[in-house]
Amino acid sequence: MTTVQNTPEIRFLEYRMTLGMTTMEGRGFYYPTDIAIADDGRMYVANRSLENVTRGVRVTVCDINSEYYGTFAAYGQSPGQFIWPSACALDSRGRVYVSDEAAHRISVFDREGALLSTWGERGSGAGQLDTPSGLAFDAADNLYVADTYNHRVQKFTAEGRFLASFGSAGNGGRADNGGSAGNGDAGLNLPWGLTVGADGNVYVADWGNDRVRKFSPDGEHLGSFGTSGRGDGEFHRPSGVAVDAAGYIYVADWGNERVQVLDPNGGFVQKLRGEATLSAWAANFLSVNVEEGEARSRANLEPEIEYFVDEPHEESSHIEKYFWSPVSIKLDREGNLYVTESNRHRIQVYRPGAQGG
Amino acid sequence: MANCDIELIAHLMRRAGFGATREQLETLAAQGYEATVEQLLDQSAEGRMGDDLIRRFHPELSGMMGTLGSGENWLYRMATTTTPLREKVALFWHGIFATGYPKVIHGKALSDQVRMFRYRGLGSFHDLLVELSRDPAMIIWLDNQDNHKDAINENYGRELLELFSMGVGSYTEQDVQECARAFTGWTLGNREYMELRSMRDSDWPYGRISWHFEFREDDHDFGEKEFLGQRGAFNGNDIVAIICQQEATARFISRHLYSFFVADEPPVPDWPYAEPQDAAAIDILVQAYFDGGYDISAMLRTLFNSDFFKDRAVWYRKVKSPVELVAGVLRLTGEFDRPRKEILDRYQQAIFMGQFLNNPPSVEGWHQGTDWIDTGSLVERINFASQQLGDVAKPGVRTMVERIAGSQAGSPEMLVDACLDQVGVITVSEDTRRELVDFAAVAGGAGAARIAEVLQMVASTHEFQRA
Repeated sequence: MTTVQNTPEIRFLEYRMTLGMTTMEGRGFYYPTDIAIADDGRMYVANRSLENVTRGVRVTVCDINSEYYGTFAAYGQSPGQFIWPSACALDSRGRVYVSDEAAHRISVFDREGALLSTWGERGSGAGQLDTPSGLAFDAADNLYVADTYNHRVQKFTAEGRFLASFGSAGNGGRADNGGSAGNGDAGLNLPWGLTVGADGNVYVADWGNDRVRKFSPDGEHLGSFGTSGRGDGEFHRPSGVAVDAAGYIYVADWGNERVQVLDPNGGFVQKLRGEATLSAWAANFLSVNVEEGEARSRANLEPEIEYFVDEPHEESSHIEKYFWSPVSIKLDREGNLYVTESNRHRIQVYRPGAQGG
Repeated sequence: MANCDIELIAHLMRRAGFGATREQLETLAAQGYEATVEQLLDQSAEGRMGDDLIRRFHPELSGMMGTLGSGENWLYRMATTTTPLREKVALFWHGIFATGYPKVIHGKALSDQVRMFRYRGLGSFHDLLVELSRDPAMIIWLDNQDNHKDAINENYGRELLELFSMGVGSYTEQDVQECARAFTGWTLGNREYMELRSMRDSDWPYGRISWHFEFREDDHDFGEKEFLGQRGAFNGNDIVAIICQQEATARFISRHLYSFFVADEPPVPDWPYAEPQDAAAIDILVQAYFDGGYDISAMLRTLFNSDFFKDRAVWYRKVKSPVELVAGVLRLTGEFDRPRKEILDRYQQAIFMGQFLNNPPSVEGWHQGTDWIDTGSLVERINFASQQLGDVAKPGVRTMVERIAGSQAGSPEMLVDACLDQVGVITVSEDTRRELVDFAAVAGGAGAARIAEVLQMVASTHEFQRA
């Protein structure tokens, strides 16, 4: 293994910009849970909204230039509607897949938002789902699904035909389809986000175990990164993971309200706490709502506070620029990193920055 | 274990918690009554559905921008916690320091206040009042952000004395003003921006920002004050210290504790004109207040171990508040073994029955006791409890049905007794039992279906609806 820690390839991230703002309808986000970025730069943002409220649940389509292209889908049980929308992914043809943790199914839309199909049924058998969350395609258009309450990852064709299942405690992390044994580690615990690396391996945010797991395409357990805690390289309930072409691992360390970058061996590289600024849409809002804009300009948004409890969640609720509930982490083709924050209804974008040293 | 002990423990758990299953009661009875009281007072080993799980699946219960999230969050705790007294005491203080959404318009600020009750509510009353005076939701609720050194606003000062500590008749108008002076400059940070966003119900641009306390030295009246016969350059902390020394405070808090945990007293506005129903009990609690250095846990230890609490005459004398009823049913059904979207419906049921957490009818809180019951709310209460306890798909109900079926309760009498036992060792009147037996004799179906029907009928009884 190369000594990547000392190569000039180490990429520290730099803050670039913030996208989005809170709205229950139209241009904006309401408790966004994930995004998918198409080759043409369009971003599909799944919004969870409130419980049992018809407004807010939708997919918002926009891009990094804050262009707004509309929304599709709505709250409900019918095909094409969502109860608890969770993750978004795009196949090679640009079709939009959205998981629903309450309907236990996957909905597929074309790039304009027309419903193509829905599939998935609740259960614990092969191919059945219990609370599907994270979604990711491999290069061959196979879809990996974090089957949360079955504590496993399942692999499907793009049409929803079951291919394989792995990661559950019952098989010690081995693949159900005859894959070789892993390292004997315990199974996944309520997995959330996942991604497929350039090498085809599957990286899973093993949420309940406070670590990131790496599996081969066949489900062989290849390794585990991180342990419980708040220190460098430690995680608390990681929600998402992204991996770049060089193998660097970007983790949404959700419970610690931060992002961490690991090198391909899992060594700590960098942590981000968040440094949001006004998005184009937010700036527009405050310029129109002058009184609020002026009151905000006079406020100290980074006050010194004596916190009642020592928890990152609490700190993030007070300091607006910090990540608050970073639920999803995605890379685009240029290496920009998008961190979606559910509780702040926005996306912070980072770019590859100055070389390490 | 003698059944009388289990019945007494069941009474304790209905009052100090939200009831318990037969299985839990057996465990508690085995360790004994006093040990159970100590366990209730010990907050160190709390187990419950974790915040991480709740926040993952219910983002609004993490961000809490709206009216419902803070209460849903709380219901999850009540339904799953292993330290129910902590939630019960938070509910107790919420009923007294009643702060509501319509003026605060900030769900997380209200949730933060309840969290403070949870962590301070069983400690020193002095510390609790200091925290209350610094609580941003309370500051907005009673306008202390408008209480300036050059122009006082008496609202908080008045309610602190009238509703939060001493009760009317124990202080003068001058005391109110001097109290208000001492709390000038006690405000929230970024007051202008936060107040404006609240008034406009603005979630823009990035969701709500939590509120924090700020002491504005430049807006505080450092001058000398005379308060309850003492003189000095008092600030808010000094005022609280003086309040806590008062016999009136001890009596006021004792009567509240008695009314909440032992037997309903008339509404607070009637207190100056109506003697407590058990004056000797209030005396005992007052003594505990001073002996324990204003410690609420010490008062509750005395209360739960007292004869006036254990007396069968006070059993089922309290009408469960809607939230207590709902939480108790959910603990029996075990529905929330994981986050489920149904939490919203369960929470709304309590609202339909007349109790909207973080949205009390006024600063005086809810009127308790039989005021909870009218024809409409009674139907809601019975329908809810019956529907939930009759659903054998729920894990807790399934367990109860299996245990009842396993007890070979063949006759209607045996079936009724087994059902009353399983829902938390409930003792019913002869009349109630006769009606239940008559029902069980004609209940349709067989096996689990018949048992579920009787459980549903038990849920509608006078005794089940009370604590």
